[in-house]
Amino acid sequence: MNQVPCTHCNLEFPKNVMIIEQDNDKELFFCCKGCEGVYHLLNDQGLNSFYDKLGENKLQPASINSDDLEKFDLEGFEKKYITTTDDGLSQVNLIIEGIHCSACVWLNEKVLHQTDGVIETSINYTNNKAKVIWDKDEIKLSGIIEIIRSIGYNAYPYDPRLQEDRAIKTRKNYYSRILVAVFGAMNIMWLAVAHYAGYFGGMEQSFKNIISVAQFVLATPVLFYSGWIFFRGAYYGYKNNIVNMDTLVASGAMSAYIYSIYAMITQRGEVYFDSVVMIITFVLVGKYLEVLSKKSAVDTLDTLMGSTPTEVTIVKDGIKSIVSTENIIIDDIIELKSGEKVVIDGEVIWGEGSFDESSLSGESEPIYKKSSDTILSGSICLDSIIHYKATKDASNSMLNSIVNLLEESITKKPKIEQLANSISGYFSTTILVIAILTFAGWYFGFGSFEEALIVAISVIVIACPCALGLATPMATLVGIGISAKRGILFKEASFLETMAKSDILAIDKTGTLTEGKPSVVGVEIFEGFDHSLLYALVDTSNHPISKGIKEYIISNYDDISTMELENIKSIEAKGLSASYQDKNILAGNAQLLQSSGIEVDSNSDNSLLFLAIDNKLVASFELKDTLRDGAKEAIRDIKALGIRVVMLTGDHKQSADSIAKEVGIDEVYSKMLPQDKSNKIDQFHTEGHIVVMAGDGINDAIALSRADIAIAMGGGADIAIEVSDIVLLDEKPKSIYESYILSRRTYQAVKENLAFSLLYNMVAVPLAVMGFVNPLIAALSMSLSSLVVVGNSIRIKQIKFKG
Amino acid sequence: MSESVIILMIGVSTFLGALGLIGLLWAVKSGQFDDESKFIDATRYDNEEDLRDAVMMDEKKRARKEKKEREYSPPD
Repeated sequence: MNQVPCTHCNLEFPKNVMIIEQDNDKELFFCCKGCEGVYHLLNDQGLNSFYDKLGENKLQPASINSDDLEKFDLEGFEKKYITTTDDGLSQVNLIIEGIHCSACVWLNEKVLHQTDGVIETSINYTNNKAKVIWDKDEIKLSGIIEIIRSIGYNAYPYDPRLQEDRAIKTRKNYYSRILVAVFGAMNIMWLAVAHYAGYFGGMEQSFKNIISVAQFVLATPVLFYSGWIFFRGAYYGYKNNIVNMDTLVASGAMSAYIYSIYAMITQRGEVYFDSVVMIITFVLVGKYLEVLSKKSAVDTLDTLMGSTPTEVTIVKDGIKSIVSTENIIIDDIIELKSGEKVVIDGEVIWGEGSFDESSLSGESEPIYKKSSDTILSGSICLDSIIHYKATKDASNSMLNSIVNLLEESITKKPKIEQLANSISGYFSTTILVIAILTFAGWYFGFGSFEEALIVAISVIVIACPCALGLATPMATLVGIGISAKRGILFKEASFLETMAKSDILAIDKTGTLTEGKPSVVGVEIFEGFDHSLLYALVDTSNHPISKGIKEYIISNYDDISTMELENIKSIEAKGLSASYQDKNILAGNAQLLQSSGIEVDSNSDNSLLFLAIDNKLVASFELKDTLRDGAKEAIRDIKALGIRVVMLTGDHKQSADSIAKEVGIDEVYSKMLPQDKSNKIDQFHTEGHIVVMAGDGINDAIALSRADIAIAMGGGADIAIEVSDIVLLDEKPKSIYESYILSRRTYQAVKENLAFSLLYNMVAVPLAVMGFVNPLIAALSMSLSSLVVVGNSIRIKQIKFKG
Repeated sequence: MSESVIILMIGVSTFLGALGLIGLLWAVKSGQFDDESKFIDATRYDNEEDLRDAVMMDEKKRARKEKKEREYSPPD
């Protein structure tokens, strides 16, 4: 059948299912009513140049929904998201959903501009966030959202004060500091060329002084403005008794600066202002790249919060009223409709239904709740109306505490900063000690304070920049490059070192070790089975078991015909029923079939689905969450590296144990809520371990952010990916093993590099100690050690992976 | 070549460069680099129509301001 693209959204569908319209001599195709509506709306408003701009880009089909608009005008909502500007206008920050390309941004901006009452809009092309300022006398927020929805997008507000403001401020701060540093570096470079030419070719002292002063003028703002970050870092390091990279950069740059000022004033020796600026600039740019990767974490958190309801319906004395979540007190009765997200923890008192708890436990299978069962915020009510009693208020509920914890961990990552660069720390301590000893030796040996100071400083100057500027970054750069080629993304270079030192791997079950969705492992077919019938039935449900069956039928049968079922009913937590041409179809678990008097054998470790037609069993399917490819081998290899492997899962004990046994993990912790997982990680920390955590879901996010190194699966929840340090694009457990191997190899190369630098410095530093330092020796030792370091780092590329 | 020529050359060129730097710093501060994709994407649609749009938005702002001023009554 030939496929044609929808005139609005460009998605391709068979011609016969499309809505076809005749417009003059042109034929228009629409995939749905929503797309048709948007197309005509844009045409009427004279905005059809949107389609020229859209080009070949594909959109989401426009859906029509407008039933929850009134919630945007509620008081609680207004208080939370809408701010008032100085001249009495309202301002809101929105996340716009459904934006696929820049044409979409253009369209949204355009339509909002044409709306009466909207005074200012700006939509960010990168993260699709919008800032809208409007006059609340002319239009309400719900009106603005309705307009965005009418052109096929969706919008919901978020609170920028949470994260975004701070993130933008940091970024701007770095931008400014880098601009100053680069400006200083570029200008000092051409002055340095003249300076060196003069050194080798001979230059009058008066010209030398002019160049020195100019370099001094340029270096000063770079050191104190751009380099401020390092001084601050060094200060915090000092307070916590840690010698870190910042200490080194700060002390190296500062001592070179002081030495150069001295040389400039006394007109003896050479100035090193160019190396001061170079160190600051290069290290600052590297640091900035790390800041950039943290930025996007903020965007996802806003999405999580933005979709959380701010009001709930409470029932009091038979009267329903809508109340802001902050005003809910314990023992209030709350009504929950299907599809609603729970924001307050509680206990069911009336009704029963299935809940999606995947954001808490990681299990995609809905959980059936009846009277006196507890429900946790963050889960979603799937299919019925429920009344429940609040057992906690909003701020103490599960969802809120998860978001708070995540916010905390994104803004500060304490563990990693302490662990990184400890080798460089030892090295720099040694150099500092040597410098002090040199000073003491010269001072007491020759009695000249001035001479002793110059020699001591020259020791630091000659030792610092070359070894530390390159040894670690060069090796990690190569390591990161190789891992990226294998689908392992390290977000920050220092993670390689931490990973290499870790001794515990905590791993999530569903979605990480297993596929996270059940697939058919056993089939029994009796007389009268019709696969098309079953397909039609399971197609109506979103339950993971249904999806597994659907996939099985698609891959095993070619001739699936469409059937129109009637009376389709979903029986809570049991299965589905429907009728087709007077036949009664029943598909579900053993309980469902037994309740209609069909005898089935339900003895199995796996999930079972039975299909009965007219009360006769025609087929049974056995489904199981299968292990990911190579999970077993990966765990075996990781254990062989001497790493303790632990499984943390939200699933119940039985299935956790069976999976653990299959892959060979001895230590299993089951039925864990998100906080339990993170507490476990903290416990490992207090025992003195360095922990790597691998997971994929929202439920793993806190634990991931607590671990020293967090590994996320590329297909996992956004929030898990954002808080992680390593992302596995191919989602293979084997990649975890590979990242271990790679980080260990890279760490080894870092150590070698530092050893080499040390060796060269052992030649250069004694010369400096003896007072023979001149630019020639400095340049020679710097470039020689750099060459060796680069060469050694490239050797990492020869690493071999098993299999 | 005398010292003053060198001083002048270095001084003037550094000063000009510093002017550019100040311009860039101002741009960062006023939020012009907040949205990196806008540089590439938004310019593709830059045309007369957008200019008219901007004028329209300005007029809207002015109209509102005038309305506010008319409504404003000094406290007595």
